[in-house]
Amino acid sequence: MNGLPNWLTDEKGSADIAPLLAPDSPVSLESLAAEAKAITLRRFGRTMSLYAPLYLSNYCSSGCVYCGYASDRKTLRRRLDFQEVERELECMKTMGINDVLLLTGERTSDASFDYLRRCVDIAATLMPKISVEAFPMDINEYRALADSGCTGITIYQETYDPDQYNMLHRWGPKKNFLDRLETPERALQAGIKTVGVGALLGLYQPEKEALKLLRHVRHLCKTYWKAGLSVSFPRMRPQTGGYQPPFPVTDSFLARMIFAFRIGLPDVELALSTRESPRFRDGMAGLAITRMSIASRTTVGGYIEQNNDEKGQFEVHDDRNVEEFCFALQEKNIEPVFKNWEPVYNGPCSE
Amino acid sequence: MNELQIGTHTFSSRLILGTGKFGNVQSMLDAIRAAGTELVTVALRRFNREQVEHDLFAALSTIEGLTLMPNTSGASNAQEAVRAAHISRELSGSPFIKVEIHPNPQHLMPDPIETYEASRILASEGFLVMPYIPADPVLAKRLEDAGCASVMPLGSAIGSGHGLATAEMIKLIIRESSIPVIVDAGLRSPSEACAAMEMGCEAVLVNSAIAAAENPAEMASAFNDAVKAGLKARDAGIMPKSGSAVATSPLTSFLGKTS
Ligand code: SF4
Repeated sequence: MNGLPNWLTDEKGSADIAPLLAPDSPVSLESLAAEAKAITLRRFGRTMSLYAPLYLSNYCSSGCVYCGYASDRKTLRRRLDFQEVERELECMKTMGINDVLLLTGERTSDASFDYLRRCVDIAATLMPKISVEAFPMDINEYRALADSGCTGITIYQETYDPDQYNMLHRWGPKKNFLDRLETPERALQAGIKTVGVGALLGLYQPEKEALKLLRHVRHLCKTYWKAGLSVSFPRMRPQTGGYQPPFPVTDSFLARMIFAFRIGLPDVELALSTRESPRFRDGMAGLAITRMSIASRTTVGGYIEQNNDEKGQFEVHDDRNVEEFCFALQEKNIEPVFKNWEPVYNGPCSE
Repeated sequence: MNELQIGTHTFSSRLILGTGKFGNVQSMLDAIRAAGTELVTVALRRFNREQVEHDLFAALSTIEGLTLMPNTSGASNAQEAVRAAHISRELSGSPFIKVEIHPNPQHLMPDPIETYEASRILASEGFLVMPYIPADPVLAKRLEDAGCASVMPLGSAIGSGHGLATAEMIKLIIRESSIPVIVDAGLRSPSEACAAMEMGCEAVLVNSAIAAAENPAEMASAFNDAVKAGLKARDAGIMPKSGSAVATSPLTSFLGKTS
């Protein structure tokens, strides 16, 4: 594909970490873990910041092969109305949540920018910290979201390989690889304070994806010096479409990747969602991960009424409730941090 | 005079603690007690008025005689820091504010320009302003002139554990400062805190080194001892360094009194 940015193709940008991820790496997983743990402890201490996702709508105009919400799936489509949004957030608040990630699918008339912005407005009356994981937007839209109190955008590239990307994204606006790749930069230019990036692990050769993702983060750090970066490691989970990942990622590779990211990006927030098992999550807490989702529902709404027939975007693996999960963290001498932001710092970053 | 004086307030302990990185609230409280500390800093963003069980401020208020110094960490510019200071004062009632502005969330280095601006405004409003700054002697003097109650230069990057990497600059700051100089950030071990006190700092602020220790309360107690030792040594008069050996019986005594 023409027009790929230099940072994506120039392997020098990840040459220090590549040997740690190579299949025949001489560096043991155990020694990587020890180094990652030491860095995490110094920089982030014994704390874990917690957030929860709220699925606002599962309408979608795109056709991603791997997703249960793709527009050709026979999923029941639903969108929360504004009262429901408020009630869901209030319910999350009673669970202790103060950091929410609002999600929708690709842009549709049912889940448009205006709808999303209203939802952010509502969330801002209840939650100190609001992030959005939705469709790519233009600079003016991101600026408007920041004005409403949105501090973070999450946008996964899914795969950093343009050919694989083209194959997996069958139709819809998401088919545009470069537009998606440039989305974090548009958000940061608009004054959004934090950007979360990631690759959907399982879609392509994991080692290559990891190194390109690392270069992406380093590029963003260098270009946008005020940016708060967080990296997630979503691994494909069973979902409605029944898609089997062509490059399944093992626990040990995932752990190796997360440790390598901590070593290569010592100050960056590393996040792990409830896609992963309790055993894996508990194990990674304190070693490299500093941010986790908790008690997640991946169905639209889903915090007040738990409808067991409805399928979410993916199956949650760690389904412990807030108390159970916090107890596990505390057993490891890690403080669950529910509030780590003040709305007084909201609004676009000044340039 | 063994007390630390900041503005009109005096403290007998010269060890200030950060509260952000502890594994649980109890270990934070135990460490504060073991440190003998009387002044702690707490981030406004960790204040949680609605859920008291997650509120660091509420937990800290249970220790009697502890003075709180809210900090503005999270602010990326002067305007945000000033707003945060106002809310902090309202919530905590403390006249102290630690101005902490780090627009780059990766390395958390303080922004000298925005820090100066926020400190100037807050000092003129009557806050006891304690800015967290790069170890820059000129900036330190500018902040003193702006009415700050102390300056808090970094020993090295937050959470780096690289100790007093900026020692030469801190010595210059101390030499010229009329307000307390407090080393903040980067200290890893009690010996480094001791060295900072020997060097002439009025106090040290520690967080990671205590919170990340296997036994935070024990480490806090060790820092407490080290800070006292450093001060005692300084008061006792530390022997000056010399470039060459100095004989105990002077080599030029045969000249008799020369002046
Ligand atoms: S991944 Fe997102 S854009 Fe793709 S089908 Fe699912 S909801 Fe739509």
